[in-house]
Amino acid sequence: MNFKIRAAKKDDSKDISRLIMELAVYEKMPDRVMISYKELERDGFSSNPFFQCLVAEVPEENKSKEGHTIVGYALYFYTYSTWKGPSVFLEDLYVMPDFRGQGIGKSLMSKVAQVGKEKQCVRLQLLMRDWNTPSLDFYVAKGAQDLTASEGWHFLRFDGEALDKLANEASID
Amino acid sequence: MEYKLRKAEPKDVSDILRLVKELAKYEAMEHQVALTEKELLEDGFGDTPLYHCILAEVQGEQSGEDPKVIGFAMYYFTYDPWSGKQLHLEDFFVMEEYRGHGIGSEILKQLSDLAMKTRCHGMQFIVAEDNEPSISFYKRRGAEDLSTAEGWRLFRFTENSLYKMAASTEE
Repeated sequence: MNFKIRAAKKDDSKDISRLIMELAVYEKMPDRVMISYKELERDGFSSNPFFQCLVAEVPEENKSKEGHTIVGYALYFYTYSTWKGPSVFLEDLYVMPDFRGQGIGKSLMSKVAQVGKEKQCVRLQLLMRDWNTPSLDFYVAKGAQDLTASEGWHFLRFDGEALDKLANEASID
Repeated sequence: MEYKLRKAEPKDVSDILRLVKELAKYEAMEHQVALTEKELLEDGFGDTPLYHCILAEVQGEQSGEDPKVIGFAMYYFTYDPWSGKQLHLEDFFVMEEYRGHGIGSEILKQLSDLAMKTRCHGMQFIVAEDNEPSISFYKRRGAEDLSTAEGWRLFRFTENSLYKMAASTEE
């Protein structure tokens, strides 16, 4: 099957939003999706975008059952390691189930890595759920190291209310 | 103790690197710091800063002495496709002899103020699981450990693997 990997445009926001929701369903957390395509348009396609996105597109004759030609995406942004310098963080990578097994995921990964290399990034990082074996296998096969297992790194977050409280409170110590 | 928090400036890169190395030493990873002052300068104070930095400064011990940088927080903005903008706290450190005076708390409070003002929906960071003092510091203030609670694991491709993927052709 023919497919094309290209940079996402503002017009793709509705498709990206649809795929974000599909990935959230796969992650068993659909109720956590709070933003719509409008926020994606505002946050990803202004003069100072907060994320970058690639989409996988198939020709009209291969469109999905629902009529979609955008069948996968990779959402990433640049981070900074005080040890090594610029890095890429791969936030989301997803291909619709009917379009898997054709090398689309692999091509999306390659393209993100290429962009990272062009920007002189020294590493690419991502977070994954420990039960997500298909994805774990996919990334480990390409050379990813599990730093939570090997070095004990944990991901912490102050969310919504906790952040608000922290901003409003005086020091506790 | 009297101290001041301020935005880092280009002249601060040697202090920033010094504290980056002290934090790496605390994490028993000092040998991993490959960054130079020149890179910190280009990356943080060029046209498109890749990071932002807040510094904590105390007055010099003797009059006429320069103020001393004794703590820092380095951060940048990331994106959660489920909730939007996030502030990612990359490094956060106060020199040992200056702890216990509320400096760390005040830095965190300023960061959370900034996060709210810049429409961030969360403030996140990665911390080593054996770093008990830091984990308690954050949890006391309402942070949730998502690795424990939701099974998130951090994966990394280092340079070689990254470049290998970049070179691989489409099937």
